[in-house]
Amino acid sequence: MTPVTEKKDLSLLAKGHGLPLACFAVVAFATPFLLSGNRYFAFVAGVTMIHILWASGMNLLYGYTGLMPLMFAGLAGISAYTVVGLTASGWSFWLALPVGALAASISGIILGLPSLRLKGFYFTLCSLVIQTVVTLGFIYFSGLTNGDTGISQIPLPSMGGGQPLSGLAYDLVLSAAAVIGVIVLIVIVKSTLGRRLIAIREDDELAGMLGINVTGYKMIAFFIGSLFAGVGGALYAPYIGFISPRSFDVLISMNIWLMVAFGGRGTIWGPVIGAILLAPLSFLLQEYYTVKDILYGLLIIAVIVLMPAGIAGGFLRKKKESAPPLDVPATPRGAK
Amino acid sequence: MSDANLIIFLSTISTGLILGSIFALVAVGVTIVYGSIWMPNAANGQFFVLAALLGWTMTVSWGIHPAIAAILVIGVSVPLSYGLEYILVRRFYDVPNRNISYFVLSLGITQILTGIFAATYGRWSDQFQLPPLVSGITFIGPLPVANNRLMVLALALSILAALFALLRYHRYGRAIRAVFQNRDAAALRGVNVKASYSLSFALGNAVIFAGGILFALAYSFDLTVAWTMSITAFAIMIIGGPGSVLGAVIVGMVFGFTQAAVSTVASPTIAAFSYLGAMLLILLFKPSGLFAR
Repeated sequence: MTPVTEKKDLSLLAKGHGLPLACFAVVAFATPFLLSGNRYFAFVAGVTMIHILWASGMNLLYGYTGLMPLMFAGLAGISAYTVVGLTASGWSFWLALPVGALAASISGIILGLPSLRLKGFYFTLCSLVIQTVVTLGFIYFSGLTNGDTGISQIPLPSMGGGQPLSGLAYDLVLSAAAVIGVIVLIVIVKSTLGRRLIAIREDDELAGMLGINVTGYKMIAFFIGSLFAGVGGALYAPYIGFISPRSFDVLISMNIWLMVAFGGRGTIWGPVIGAILLAPLSFLLQEYYTVKDILYGLLIIAVIVLMPAGIAGGFLRKKKESAPPLDVPATPRGAK
Repeated sequence: MSDANLIIFLSTISTGLILGSIFALVAVGVTIVYGSIWMPNAANGQFFVLAALLGWTMTVSWGIHPAIAAILVIGVSVPLSYGLEYILVRRFYDVPNRNISYFVLSLGITQILTGIFAATYGRWSDQFQLPPLVSGITFIGPLPVANNRLMVLALALSILAALFALLRYHRYGRAIRAVFQNRDAAALRGVNVKASYSLSFALGNAVIFAGGILFALAYSFDLTVAWTMSITAFAIMIIGGPGSVLGAVIVGMVFGFTQAAVSTVASPTIAAFSYLGAMLLILLFKPSGLFAR
């Protein structure tokens, strides 16, 4: 057998995404400067950056590997609580961040184990149960997490000179995290790893017969996806300054899922657009948070019913013809 | 056994019976819908609370007698189910792997109803209590039990019995079970599959509504009970075997007793942990459930 030589040239990997990536990077880094006059809008933009990172991680799992992990917010929470706990006991934030992200990744691998046996709805249900257990755990182990009250007044990370990282600098860190997240996703998707994940999404049994190590690749996907969740969660905690079990409950998982599905799963830019459109909503509607719930719920239904491919998918693919009805009797008769 | 221990024991048994029969009702509603149209209705907890809240509005705000209100609430579920079925559920009958679409759809409904409840009832009150169906107290040994709760227990058990009879002996029930087992063969034998789908959707939701209003008549409740109920009903359905009515009843009863017993000796959170753990084990090692059809 002749081994297929893989081209590892990064410029080739980014082909087709170079221009949007450059635009995105420019916008991401320019926004904090443009909005620096208005702290509130700059804050909303920062939170949106975290959601772009989360949506990209969820996209890797849901869009490219075909698993719907509803415990995604729980993983972010594990990282956030780890980082907050470590910084409270004297660690530097920049040391705690990789530890927290790694904690999320390892938890992601362990909690993703059911995906090896369960598919589709059963895995999603299982992940929902796991998310509920994680949320209950955050409430129950109140010694570490302060229970339902949550942890407030989380200190900002410090910069080199001992000054706290605040305002513009923190916004730029978040922008950098979002841009790096998208670049990592592009590199993964364009590489052999990405193609194998897509093969697993399309048909994991067939992928296994073709010699793809399905178990290994699913675990890799969970590791990387959870890393996105973990980095986002670690950056989220000091930025907001407050975390509680509600910050990482199943509704948050559903919201991140919605950003991916609404934007267009399995595309690089769809989830980014989804996050940009949906993440600010919850802050702009803060006074009317119930309206946000209703709106998100309606959007979930609209995505499922009207546009399963999302916004980006609508441009790229033609809508599939719906399958003909299978076995409906021609004349309606009473049940016998 | 001392008197105090006997009272605790008896009260655990009676709470377990009432909770178990209500869990069983809701789980049967979920399992009927899942068994026939493959719809894992994550919104069951919200429907459950919707029924309870409607009952509260009718009895407390409008002053209707609780018995009439209960019948009205269950009646309301029928047009609601048929409306939902017509607008949303019907679209996916022929989609392969539709259970995941339905699951997400019902999570969307959950979020909408959560928002609506928080915006309306959530502003009015934290805790809701309905007037009792019947007054008075009966002594079972040394334990005083409100007649109201005994009445709720009797009603829940008789609804379950009626449901069994319907599914086993009535032709509509037999049609539903035929579609459960084999949709194609049932269609070939002249069963109107789509009508049986919408019927089982409506029947399942009516049973969930019945569970909700009965729970509200027996206990005071708040809005957080919705999510707990959703997860509990799913756990019961998965452990009992999706689509198995008998499994849902048996596991529902077991869960009711577990909840009552664990809540007396430990805390409700521990009970929730134990359900979820049991559900995970079943999902991983026997996804077809204990009482698979």
